[in-house]
Amino acid sequence: MQSRAVRRLISVYPRAWKARYGEEFAVLLEEHSLTLATVVDVCGWAIREHLVSIRSQIVNPRQRAVILMAYAALAALAGGVNFYWTVADTPMATAMRTHRAMSLSFQLIARAAFAAGLIVIAVAAPLVTNMVRTALASRRWNIVAWLALPVLAAVTTLAWMEAAMLLTGTRWVPTPWDVTGDWTAPAAWPALTTRWAFGVVTCVLLLLGLAASAASVTHAIRRTDVTAQPRAWLTGTAIAFTVATFAMVVGVSTWGWFSELYARADFHAINGGLFNSSNFASWLLSAITFAVASVLSIQSARSALLPE
Amino acid sequence: MVLASLADGPKHGHAMLLDIIEMSGTRLGPGTLYGAITRLERDGLVEALAREDRRQPYKLTVLGRRVLRAKLTTLHHFARAGLRKLEA
Repeated sequence: MQSRAVRRLISVYPRAWKARYGEEFAVLLEEHSLTLATVVDVCGWAIREHLVSIRSQIVNPRQRAVILMAYAALAALAGGVNFYWTVADTPMATAMRTHRAMSLSFQLIARAAFAAGLIVIAVAAPLVTNMVRTALASRRWNIVAWLALPVLAAVTTLAWMEAAMLLTGTRWVPTPWDVTGDWTAPAAWPALTTRWAFGVVTCVLLLLGLAASAASVTHAIRRTDVTAQPRAWLTGTAIAFTVATFAMVVGVSTWGWFSELYARADFHAINGGLFNSSNFASWLLSAITFAVASVLSIQSARSALLPE
Repeated sequence: MVLASLADGPKHGHAMLLDIIEMSGTRLGPGTLYGAITRLERDGLVEALAREDRRQPYKLTVLGRRVLRAKLTTLHHFARAGLRKLEA
């Protein structure tokens, strides 16, 4: 492998790991050819080392609880957005109007998501205010920059979507859920290749936004004293958040079950799933993401309950 | 696998990979190998020796040798019991 490729691959590892193993790892990589399998292997292990590094640096259980809650919120947000777009304006939405059980399950997810959102705001608002005030007073601009990152990511994605609508001159919103399927696209929509390309860009921006938000939360909280928040408050909100995410898992599971019972054909059709996938596949992705959010929120509550 | 490859003496990364292929037919990726080395060194099962040129050899620690022996003995008993059942 060329030394430039080796340097690039090693650069994805955490700084401390590079300092300890970087040189000898470079020798090993030089003896390998640059294949996709090698890149995936190295990047996968680099991500793992980053997670280990983050876990070892966050020794304060309260910080860990807040960070895990933020990760859970991001996972729930990703699952919720995917689920909403899978259902919105598709025959599944029509089926929900006819079958009350499906509608009730959807309502459960929506109300649990609303409650989870309120809990996140209740935890984040005083924390972020405190962080910004402390950072501005002590001129720690890096914290302000980290906190601004999720806002910047959201604004960039929305600006891109607006710009794409202007570029195509249509009312088509460039989401990866409205690209193609076993339906006929309205004549006013842009060409299929444009829809694919724009849908991919939106999806990449959404994923980058989620990753940037996760990194932002981790870095900002690691540099902040969260002990100003009463422990009982954090424990209470973490438990309430766990209940909310669990309700979302119950809601999405029962919704899938009732869809299979009452609207099987539409559920397995390709008319609302992410990137030309069936509604079932897209629902499954949301169910898994909600389950991840639930596991993370349980971990968050466990950390909040740990003694200092 | 990494512990077993160090059982007959110190080795550096590339030699470990070749040894593991010969022992088990498994081709480990470089990231996987160094992920394992990182964890084994942190757990005190292997230790780094002095560098040879740019290569870094590793050897088993006393604890590593003990852990490897225990794991291999368990595997040996398991394989023997399985074979006995198969032949019964």
